Amino acid sequence: MNPPPGVDARIINTPEGALQSILNGAPMRKGRVHLELPAIAENGHSVGMTVKVDSPMSEADHVRRIELIADKNPVPRVATFVLGPLNGRAEVESRLRLNGTQRVTAIAQLSDGSFWFDAVDVTVNELACLDGG
Amino acid sequence: MGARDPNQSRRDFLKSSALAGGGLIVSFALPGTTRLAQAAGNDVKMSAYLRIAPNNDITVVCGLSEMGQGVHTAIPMLVAEELDADWMRVRVEQAGVDKAFANPIFGMQATGGSTSVRGHWEPMRKAGAQARAMLIAAAAEIWKVDPSECSTEKGMVLHKSGKKASYGQLAAKAAKQVPPKDVKLKDPSQFTLLGKSGTKRLDTAAKSTGKAKYGLDIYLPGMLTAVIAHAPVLGGKAVSVDDSKAKAVPGVRQVVTIPAGVAVLADGYWAAKMGRDALEIKWDDGPNAALSSEGISKMLSDGAKAGGAVGRNEGDAKAAAPAKTLEAEYEAPFLSHSCMEPLNCTAWVRNGEVEIWAGTQSQGPAQGILAQVGGVAPGKVKVNTMYLGGGFGRRFAPDPVIGATILSKMTGKPVKLVYSREDDTRGYFYRPASVTRMKGGLDAGGKAVLFTANVASPSIMEGSHFMKLPPDGVDEFGVEGIRDCPYDIPNLRIEYSRQEPGGVQVWFWRSVGHSQNSFFLESFIDEMAHEAGKDPFEFRRALLSKQPRYKGALELAAEKAEWGKPLPAGVHRGIAVVFSFGSWCAEVAEVSVAADGTPTVHRVVAAVDCGMTVNPDIVKRQIESAIVYGLTAALYGKITFKDGQVQQSNFHDYRMLRMNQMPKVEVHIVPSKEAPGGIGEPGTPPIAPAVANAIFAATGKRIRKLPILA
Repeated sequence: MNPPPGVDARIINTPEGALQSILNGAPMRKGRVHLELPAIAENGHSVGMTVKVDSPMSEADHVRRIELIADKNPVPRVATFVLGPLNGRAEVESRLRLNGTQRVTAIAQLSDGSFWFDAVDVTVNELACLDGG
Repeated sequence: MGARDPNQSRRDFLKSSALAGGGLIVSFALPGTTRLAQAAGNDVKMSAYLRIAPNNDITVVCGLSEMGQGVHTAIPMLVAEELDADWMRVRVEQAGVDKAFANPIFGMQATGGSTSVRGHWEPMRKAGAQARAMLIAAAAEIWKVDPSECSTEKGMVLHKSGKKASYGQLAAKAAKQVPPKDVKLKDPSQFTLLGKSGTKRLDTAAKSTGKAKYGLDIYLPGMLTAVIAHAPVLGGKAVSVDDSKAKAVPGVRQVVTIPAGVAVLADGYWAAKMGRDALEIKWDDGPNAALSSEGISKMLSDGAKAGGAVGRNEGDAKAAAPAKTLEAEYEAPFLSHSCMEPLNCTAWVRNGEVEIWAGTQSQGPAQGILAQVGGVAPGKVKVNTMYLGGGFGRRFAPDPVIGATILSKMTGKPVKLVYSREDDTRGYFYRPASVTRMKGGLDAGGKAVLFTANVASPSIMEGSHFMKLPPDGVDEFGVEGIRDCPYDIPNLRIEYSRQEPGGVQVWFWRSVGHSQNSFFLESFIDEMAHEAGKDPFEFRRALLSKQPRYKGALELAAEKAEWGKPLPAGVHRGIAVVFSFGSWCAEVAEVSVAADGTPTVHRVVAAVDCGMTVNPDIVKRQIESAIVYGLTAALYGKITFKDGQVQQSNFHDYRMLRMNQMPKVEVHIVPSKEAPGGIGEPGTPPIAPAVANAIFAATGKRIRKLPILA
């Protein structure tokens, strides 16, 4: 989870910095990852999220980690899930806090080192969010 | 309301004082649940341990830490039984640090060593009985009758005339009564709560709804969250720190060097962690940079070969000339406690006072330590004990509370120090590794006539910094579980060789020395039984004729497991029996072994003699939990070192038992009228040898080194 050498801590809290800290210059491809988020979230405090990755989750071929980037959050790199063959299936569920309407990207790194991603645009009803207090 | 006189002795069991107003001892009230105390309000204080509200709510104040073991239910049950309280009205409140709550076994306020029920069985019942007598005296005074004509039932005082009054109505008057010096406690046959199944835990609802507060749940206004970059080698020091990139991370407020390492303080955990990752530190690894597991194993093995201080010597082990002898060397590794809630503490040093919020097992000692750290009088240190997400001995250690207090003192702000899982796993404080050489001798008829054991391990007593090796040079934790070998063997000798590899902080781990020594002894006894051509259960039983409670637990486990009755093809049994912390526990494991050597534990039958029980349901849960904990360690647990550094970091390389690996566990309690024994730890020691012995039965391969899946 350490930022790889060369990543500038000053841009770590931008979407570009977050991406750089995950990929360290490696390419990523669309596919294999399925990010499920509602198109419209009424309350940005708690947005249900599921990531599934097509993977046999075997010793030889599994998902090593799943990263989430929320472009407009103060800390865009919002979560890292570390997985392994013992998980049995490559699926994680959680709830996100989203700071407004934005794009959320899920990136999976497989055991061969390759990166795959899916991205979803979420409309967050900010009024509902502000109303929380 | 006024402040309590700090000089007032509260050692006396009951020092009655009705509260003039509310709020005097509310500061530790845990918020928001039905069965946890809310606030003192108009409660009447009957003693340091008990308050009664006008609406009949009973609040039991508990000085012990709740780490899942059920003490916040057991202590109220002890009070409620003798008080004849209505259990449905009983609540529990965590106490602060006060002499009144010193653990009678330790002499200080701390929770550990499976001492809670053993130490408080009588004092807490007495607290209930004295309050009951005072309530009766108050009623008798009002009714102008003789107290002997009154009885109590479910929170009411009753008179034979039919008059009755609730405890809530009587409390204010009762608190003014002189506490009786001697009160008669109930005969166990009169118990309605104690020893009976079905009493639910007081903390379940709060824990199920997320309302219960653990240390990690503390958020204070203006609080900074800190993480520490610890030296990768114990004893190492930062020689240069470049924190420019760390300070550039948004949210990072300060970077400071303290004895424990380099701390990053930030607005939240994530920023602190990102800041720590961006630190560039040059470490001087110091004297322990060459530490390796191979070196440690060799050092311990040489120590075991050489022998050391004599811990027990009966008969003449050297002169004994058995017909048959066998000898073996066993080894157990360092272990991490791996509490599910990572270690943490929130501290606020202000206005000459230190206040902490922590899930700690040792609030009493922490008060003294933090007085020194904060430079204040012990009375100016306030400890808020939160729920512990696991303790296992690790939360007895003061490192997180010291770290948080230093950081708050330096920054002048409330600071929550959080250990990441990696910090926790690599945070030293390990169950010591041990190598033990044993020798057994049998006579021509296969009877055991000789047993010797040379134990080599680092000393917990010396490592603890609050104990010293006794004059005989034998660390009691180093040899417990093997020095007290119960088997009737005429020639018996136990030696202890203290070996300190350096660079490791050894510590108390659930069941302490028994966790490895019972594995050694109970496996080697199995080897002797095999050598003698005898059944391992019958071999033990014959050697326990003078040990009725060992024998009782062993026989009950064997009976309930149907020892001797054939199992499905491929499944084999192993047995072990251990006395620890005042209780006897025997376990029978049913195990099969796959072609690749991987064992599956299908079922464990446990029998425990822990004397009288408070809450038998919790006793059973404790044994189940001890089995999960012990089985995890037996199968996987191993902390290893290379170049001075710990090689494990998180659950992927320091594995826990998984749900689908959990055996079916049955717990049977030996019926008893004896005084209670401990229950938090006694279930842990027997599981490793029971499983290892079953693996031997299945494969003929003897497990002499843990973990089993090395």
